[in-house]
Amino acid sequence: MESEPSLSDLILLVASGDRRALRSIYQRESTRLFGIANAVLRDRDAASDAVHDAFVKIAARAAQYDATRGVASAWLGAIVRYAALDIARARGREIPTDDPALGDSAIAPEALELLDAKAEGVRLRACLLTLEERIRNGIILAFVHGLSHAEVAAKLDEPLGTVKSWIRRGLLRLRECLA
Amino acid sequence: MTPEERQALAAEYVLGTLDATTVRRVDEAAARDPVLAEEIADWELALAPLQAMIPPEAPPPGLWDRIAATLDPASARTATGRGKSWFWPAWSFGATAVAGSLAAILLVRPAAPPERLMTVLLSSQDQSAWVVEGDRGGLRLAALNPRAAPPDRALQLWALPQGATAPTSLGLIPRESGQIRVSPSQIIPTPGMLIEITLEPPGGSPTGRPTGPILFIGRLAPAAGT
Repeated sequence: MESEPSLSDLILLVASGDRRALRSIYQRESTRLFGIANAVLRDRDAASDAVHDAFVKIAARAAQYDATRGVASAWLGAIVRYAALDIARARGREIPTDDPALGDSAIAPEALELLDAKAEGVRLRACLLTLEERIRNGIILAFVHGLSHAEVAAKLDEPLGTVKSWIRRGLLRLRECLA
Repeated sequence: MTPEERQALAAEYVLGTLDATTVRRVDEAAARDPVLAEEIADWELALAPLQAMIPPEAPPPGLWDRIAATLDPASARTATGRGKSWFWPAWSFGATAVAGSLAAILLVRPAAPPERLMTVLLSSQDQSAWVVEGDRGGLRLAALNPRAAPPDRALQLWALPQGATAPTSLGLIPRESGQIRVSPSQIIPTPGMLIEITLEPPGGSPTGRPTGPILFIGRLAPAAGT
């Protein structure tokens, strides 16, 4: 089998208007990207809308992709997450935090081991482990499930103001650790 | 904005905890403030490994068609009803030729039932193709130029009737023959039904829904000449 073009190459082709390259990205990444959208929205129809909006953005913004600045899959994932968050915000994020689909699996300690697949992940995991457990859980819940400050507070059963400052401090500490 | 405030705002923007109004303000500010834009890009990179914690999930089968129709409404319109998808312009000549020769085969068959549906499933990367025919007797799939799946993978056939939200599995495609007959008790072929082949683990999808990439796809339409 001939070697496949990298995701970065495909994004560059999309920037030149190549629709088949965009379709190849979809074929390769849509299962992962749909998972990201559905983790935030927990509604397959809404997650489809998010992936739809994201691919329209990917087609429009491919020229802004800078291959020297990061990983192509992370760039794609961020666009899908933002599209899903936009939909969640437009709905007023009325997603109940006692939703059984919103499992605790994401914050189970073993879930962090999934980060070890890549070198950047190993570093991030090590830094996350320096944070207090509830702060770490708040950050992971917000990222994976797209929870607002208020939803993280409800989920962790802590006052809103406290959670806000925890997360802020946690993120800045993370930043120092990664630097 | 102090550097700490800017950093925290960028971090919360990427984490996703900000409300809609603040997000809009950050978007506007980042368009004018390259330092803020840079902070956001740095945080995206820093938190991206968390994406690995999210389980993948197969999107519904019609989603690519919807994206394609939004991006190129004109080409999507001209291709509808022709029984093939529009998004492989380079192969469209081949597809037309294949469909044409198939129509010729269908025409010489005596006493065709009133409604015969067909489609040609094409891939975007190579020219392998499958022919699907459907009528009251069920659905038949045959390989035009057989190409087996990789040894540790299976090809699974699916049908999605129009309006349905989840596809129905029609079974694994036998490696040697590359042919499947599906009885009408399993599926009644209807015009507009989406037929697709996905790459799955050896025993087929463990979830009952497609989990691997869609390799071939086509939509059933009335066969020419009937």
